[in-house]
Amino acid sequence: MDLNRPALPLQNKARNRKALAATAIAAALLLSACGGGAAPQGAEQAAAADPASGANASGAVNICGVKDASGIYKGTAEAFTKANGKVTAKYTEIGATTDEARTQIVQRLEGKSTECDLFVTDVIWTSEFASQGWLLDQTKLVEANKDRLIPSTVETTKYQDKYWGSPFFTNAGLIYYQKDKVAKPESWQQLYAEAAKAPGNGYVYQGKQYEGLTVNFLEMLYSAGGEVLNDQGDVTIDSKETRDVLNFMSDGLKNGSADRAVLTYNEDPARLAYESGDFGYQRNWPHVYRLLNATPLASSFAVAPLPAWEGGKASGVLGGWNLAISAHSTNQAGAVAFIDFATTPDWQKHVAMDYSQAPVNEAAYSDAAVLEKMPFATELLASVKAAKPRPSSPVYPQISQAIYKNVYAVLSGTASTEEAVKKMADEITTAKASF
Amino acid sequence: MSTLTAERPTPELATRAKAPKRRRLRGEAKLHPMVWVFVVAVMGFSLIPFYWLVNTSLKKGSSLSQGELFPSQPTLENYLVVFQNPEFLLALRNSVIIAVVTTTVALVFASFAAYALARLKMRRKAMILTLILSVTTFPAIAIAAPMFSIWREIGLYDTLLGLIIPKLTFALPLAIYTLTSFFKEIPRELEESAYMDGATPFTAFRKVILPLAVPGLATTAILVFISVWNEFLLAVTLTTSPEARPVPVAIAFFSGTSEFDQPLGTISAASVIITVPLVILVLLCQKRIVSGMTAGAVKG
Amino acid sequence: MALRTIPPSRGPAKTSGRDRAERKLAFRMTAPSLVIMALVAAVPIGYAIWLSLNQYSVRTAGLSRFVGLENYINALASQEWWAAFGQTFLFAGLSVSLELVLGTAMALLLNLAFKGRAVLRTVVLLPYAIITVVSAITWQTMFQPNMGLVTNVLSTLGLPGGDVVWLGEHGYAMAVIVMADVWKTTPFAALIILAGLQVISAETYEAAELDGASKWQTFVNITLPLLRPAIVLAAIFRTMDALRVFDLPFVLTRGANGTESMSMLAYTQLRENRLVGEGSALSILTFLTVMVVSVIYVRFAGGNIRDVAKEEQ
Repeated sequence: MDLNRPALPLQNKARNRKALAATAIAAALLLSACGGGAAPQGAEQAAAADPASGANASGAVNICGVKDASGIYKGTAEAFTKANGKVTAKYTEIGATTDEARTQIVQRLEGKSTECDLFVTDVIWTSEFASQGWLLDQTKLVEANKDRLIPSTVETTKYQDKYWGSPFFTNAGLIYYQKDKVAKPESWQQLYAEAAKAPGNGYVYQGKQYEGLTVNFLEMLYSAGGEVLNDQGDVTIDSKETRDVLNFMSDGLKNGSADRAVLTYNEDPARLAYESGDFGYQRNWPHVYRLLNATPLASSFAVAPLPAWEGGKASGVLGGWNLAISAHSTNQAGAVAFIDFATTPDWQKHVAMDYSQAPVNEAAYSDAAVLEKMPFATELLASVKAAKPRPSSPVYPQISQAIYKNVYAVLSGTASTEEAVKKMADEITTAKASF
Repeated sequence: MSTLTAERPTPELATRAKAPKRRRLRGEAKLHPMVWVFVVAVMGFSLIPFYWLVNTSLKKGSSLSQGELFPSQPTLENYLVVFQNPEFLLALRNSVIIAVVTTTVALVFASFAAYALARLKMRRKAMILTLILSVTTFPAIAIAAPMFSIWREIGLYDTLLGLIIPKLTFALPLAIYTLTSFFKEIPRELEESAYMDGATPFTAFRKVILPLAVPGLATTAILVFISVWNEFLLAVTLTTSPEARPVPVAIAFFSGTSEFDQPLGTISAASVIITVPLVILVLLCQKRIVSGMTAGAVKG
Repeated sequence: MALRTIPPSRGPAKTSGRDRAERKLAFRMTAPSLVIMALVAAVPIGYAIWLSLNQYSVRTAGLSRFVGLENYINALASQEWWAAFGQTFLFAGLSVSLELVLGTAMALLLNLAFKGRAVLRTVVLLPYAIITVVSAITWQTMFQPNMGLVTNVLSTLGLPGGDVVWLGEHGYAMAVIVMADVWKTTPFAALIILAGLQVISAETYEAAELDGASKWQTFVNITLPLLRPAIVLAAIFRTMDALRVFDLPFVLTRGANGTESMSMLAYTQLRENRLVGEGSALSILTFLTVMVVSVIYVRFAGGNIRDVAKEEQ
């Protein structure tokens, strides 16, 4: 038993307490700084972009977005800088994948960063970002440019009756098929029937449990006349059409129209499987055209727009990217000038010719030079015009999850159609009631 | 491969630390053939997926989709593309700096802490151990966003130092735990005799423990280096420009021809390339891992 | 030996001055590590805890409300959480057991002296050296239906599993994920156990041989118990990592077919749904789960860490 209790442990205790206190104070300070206490700032309070400001713009404009795989963003920035003379535009890659880019964009918007003036946004992010008051209202700008934009692409930027982005380029699904093996699909039913006729005729699509499955599913559902949300925003997915489509897709897997392997495919594996020559049909985005041309299948494949559901109109789901102006941008005029440039019919032709992306300007599709580079431009235009945006809602990620998880459950056989539909409707309703 | 008899080194402190390294064999004169079978199996198991990676890196274009075992037209083009990518080379430089600095500092700090935990009197060791463990257990994803904001505030965003500090923080627990466990194995008698010779605890640490703990130190160095080298989440959260990006993030930014493309050829080539520094590190360290303690000196 | 008759310097007969000096030194030696960890980790961790006690509106900007433990209660009442919990533990149980067994075997192998062991040691570490996401992609490719290396070989040899869509079937998907993890991190366990093998002196083995013990008996009765600290250490870290698995299931299956992990749930809520409060709560639940398991390990499996923790000073 030590009689003289060493002073050291007490000293340590005191030191520890002080350190703890200092950390707590620092934490509290930081929290109060981050906590805000600012008044809610949503879509209602958002400022509007002035279409006229583009003419007098100057300075630098920074466009941020996903990795520039096709070179279109950097190319547009360079071309704009050259053409404009007063504004210099630069593109900064901030995400390696679409999901990562979204995280990076959200982080900057939440932190009120002034680093980026424009964001290249996936069409499904618009409602989310707009509802948070992160974007400038572009209704007037879109009105001013209305004549050169395909209406369905403009609808992808709509939230609460206002427009929050300008379409830059779009995307719509296409069916690639082997001319020598199968017929051009006039309807989904015909496609599946042809696909089931022989083992080498099968249909590959994106059936992995992710956003792509939502797209594949909705492409059929819309054509069958079904919807997820109606115009008032009510959940209407619990319908006969939904059950029909689910049963149809699930039967397709059972009777050999589609290989069970599609449950593991996103875009690239589906393309690679098709390239092996063992399949007859493929649903994929337009970018596959160029890649298929570089394979031995180049002479035997053809392109068709998405077929219609028997008795319904052809439909589809719009992909693509929009240009959204950050509410914290320090050069709004420059951003407007950039958008004006990017949506000019002339530049939209380059979008198609040089970067193989689907333009948002209708005239570009019939341009001779474009048709040379993209022989399927007519089919693509048909798909784009018939396509609809995905459900517009700030809780779109949750809605999409409700869809793709339950559709996957039906396809993989772990849930019945009835259960899945009920669950989808429940989950979407819950999501829409999110705080 | 004959059995060596263990020498008895002298009990002098100075010479013990410099006792000649010798192979510690398990007394096998030759290896049973079953062992060789096992060796081959283990090598196969380790190598096959790696072989697949190399295989993919030698292919390009449409041959990437054929599942060929040997590339029919092997090409080094992917490697060329990768090496000619200035951002990748920058990222290599960044990764080397980050990993070397983090590993060195982690080893120093952790060996100090491990010695205190394993050997010295200290209060609340259990609490300290628990706190250390909780640092490494806390999901990085939950703190990535707060870190992003804080780092931007204090200006460490998009800097190498800004990456070294958190990586060091999350590497320390592994290092401390590993070294504590190994320091504990070293018999106390060695330090006792050092104290008898008038050494302070710190000197005992430097001259007795550290040399004997070389296997533990080498092991920890390899583990920390590799985990820092390959860490992705914090790296992608706290950097944005090629000047600060380490290699895993740079690889993620390799682009194919469209947003859906995964350029498997170049990704594979880059992944193979970045194992090279790790291989060099391991080759340098692997002897140290089994250099062994002259335990015979003590237990006899 | 003369050393043993001298009372250890820690006896009560020694002055407390020595104790004090020792504690001071101990404090100084642990301080740098603790300071760094406190400074860097404390604030973000504290903030994450704070976030988990609130809910932040995803439809109205800037709106938040304090809900106390409601996020935790909702999570614990959800079927999704428990499904992920079970799946994660299944994964961790399978992976870690395999890794410890294979790791020990590998360590024994690496310990042997034979020509080319430097090569073996380096080769064996290669899997650990590959980026997790890249290894996940590699495994995905190897198990691709029809074209992957494994499915090809299995069909060619006429073995079962050749026409199975591995990543699309319950059970099979988990098997691939476990294999990928075991492949990648067995070297980690092997390294730690190998370093633990170094502690056992040659004399110990010689004595056992003299006593007539067989190789197996030596292994079970001598090597294994002496290896216990190293095995426990490897087990702690591997279990911690396995319970937090994210990259592998995310890339391979996106959590389908019974492979969703607790970290994936947290990621979905935190990143995809921007439900920061709920996501932080899920992260912290994951963290608590891992901590509880680790502490149980340390207390019951023994090893050096437990010995250190029990020291009364």
